[in-house]
Amino acid sequence: MRAKGHRGGSALVLAVCLAGCAGNGKGLDQNGQPIVSGGASSGAITADFQSIQDNVFTPICSKCHIGASAPEGLQLDAAHSYNLLVGVPSAEDPSLLRVKPSDPDNSYMVRKIEGASGILGGQMPLGETPLPQATIDAIRQWITNGAPNVATASASAFAVQSTAPADKAIVRAPLTHVVVAFTQEVDASLVNDSTVILERVGESCAVDGVDAAACGDEPADNPTKVAASGVLAPLNPSVVLITPSVPLAAGTYRVTVRGVGGGAMANLNAVPLGSNASAVFTVESDQ
Amino acid sequence: MKYRLTNSVWRVLFVLILACGAYTAQSEPYLAVQLGLKCGQCHVNPTGGGLRTTFGDLFAQTVLPANHLDGAADNWTGAVNQYLRAGGDLRFDAAVTTAPNTRSLQQFDLEQTRVYLEADVIPGRLLAYVDEQVAPGGALNREAYVLFWSASHDWYLKAGQMYLPFGFRLQDQTAFVLTATGINMTTPDQGVEFGWEHGHWDAQFAVSNGTAGGAVTGDGKQYSSQLIYVESVWRLGLAANLNDQSGGKKTAYGVFAGLRTGPISWLAQAEVTDDESIANGQGKELATLLEANWLIARGNNLKITDEFLNPNRAVPNGEQTRWSLVYELTPIQFLQIRTGLRYYDGIPQDNSEHQRQYFVEFHGFF
Repeated sequence: MRAKGHRGGSALVLAVCLAGCAGNGKGLDQNGQPIVSGGASSGAITADFQSIQDNVFTPICSKCHIGASAPEGLQLDAAHSYNLLVGVPSAEDPSLLRVKPSDPDNSYMVRKIEGASGILGGQMPLGETPLPQATIDAIRQWITNGAPNVATASASAFAVQSTAPADKAIVRAPLTHVVVAFTQEVDASLVNDSTVILERVGESCAVDGVDAAACGDEPADNPTKVAASGVLAPLNPSVVLITPSVPLAAGTYRVTVRGVGGGAMANLNAVPLGSNASAVFTVESDQ
Repeated sequence: MKYRLTNSVWRVLFVLILACGAYTAQSEPYLAVQLGLKCGQCHVNPTGGGLRTTFGDLFAQTVLPANHLDGAADNWTGAVNQYLRAGGDLRFDAAVTTAPNTRSLQQFDLEQTRVYLEADVIPGRLLAYVDEQVAPGGALNREAYVLFWSASHDWYLKAGQMYLPFGFRLQDQTAFVLTATGINMTTPDQGVEFGWEHGHWDAQFAVSNGTAGGAVTGDGKQYSSQLIYVESVWRLGLAANLNDQSGGKKTAYGVFAGLRTGPISWLAQAEVTDDESIANGQGKELATLLEANWLIARGNNLKITDEFLNPNRAVPNGEQTRWSLVYELTPIQFLQIRTGLRYYDGIPQDNSEHQRQYFVEFHGFF
């Protein structure tokens, strides 16, 4: 009996010895990131996106929602969060937007952090204390204010930030919308079929067995313009929604934003893109 | 003539099955270590979790609980008819969570209710399987696949939506070793899995979309694999994962082991991840887990877990730890009561890394 007790005790000691220690936090900010000389430290949360990013998304949410394997494809690090949240349908409940500007009650993200009835999966942050009410209130207020991305707008040059489908992406037919997200708000009067061009540039690589190289940046086929209408997303003026007159069938497509020449795509300060931007993607048959 | 098997007969049958090493099953990883069995012996899914096999159901009724309540019917085996089997899990918590400078939270929480269904369309060879979370909220599919077994059951092919193979499939989905890789039971993926089971060896290789249930955004794929050697008192496994997405590659490598020393079953797992899609080297994580499960008496298990996480190996002083002490009582078949606490520790400036959780969980399963 005594020998058994010793073995058990030894095992516990071993467990303690193997245990690591928590860091002392020296040289780190409150999010665990290295303190950069001259860098701003985040204080109490305020109802603006940068503050929410610094106090919530980066330190709490992006522990899991980060990188290629982010749950539901939702990356909440500073580089991706805004354009994957605002005006984007929820993967769990596509009838709701993750963040619907000016409407926090119908923003799925708010329901998730409040643990409202009807959500799929658990309340966020999963397995941790719910966000303080002051934090939730700040997020609600930011959404009520229209969910602006002020920090990005002031910090980044005007450019195409991302497209959906992304460049070289493969998605399933039918595709009803193409999304082009910009780093700043776009001049709505410049969104037309001469600045936002959708073309079919080849057959579907996935369906027709075309060599993968043909799906790259320089498709070999002669492009054919696709009838489509481009409009500014009413809930996110940094995003242009392109709706084909007929949902896109299998094939390879290119979306181009013209950034040079007369009437080129520009921001609200009449600053044009300065160069054309394009993305090529493949729609494969849903079979 | 209809026969009704008594509980003692079921127990004898169970031991015979166990001795023959044939139709077997398990529940949590520590139980597999405790009995020296592979995960797939108690679960329909060869990599563990979800619907229990007939063996797993019998184990849960005759060996796991402290007491067996005799009912009017025979023991539950999940069989609806010759071809269909069903099962379920319900977890309901009462929890208090505190953190510095944060209001404490006291709540009842229906953590999850899951229903499993297995259709043995060709018994022993081909099955269709569904794991559906039905509460809280709307229905949420977790797994749905078809699985084809070879005639000798030494290999299988699975296709559909599934949990990916990578180390121990722990019950606590917030364990550092599960969140660091992002491979856990909240992030099933769609793809195919090949499994090989031969003697003491167990191996899986899966190719999936790599989007953790999200929309496919590129032609990159995720490759998951593990290799395990299982002995009666110990086991050792290696796991590797590559998620090759256009935004950057994520790699994860892990080693995991189990050991039984008398009434204590040990689990250990360590892994490193490197996610190139995350800026500033923040994707370089290290996570470890060491867990002791002390079988105090039949139906009474004390679980002590020590976890460590370095969220960024490129930056010092940011490490986190978590200690858990959980007592698991299985008073009767189909019912488990778990109570415990979790103690987080991390950098002083982040309140969320200093949580304390106290909980009681009622777990019903069949």
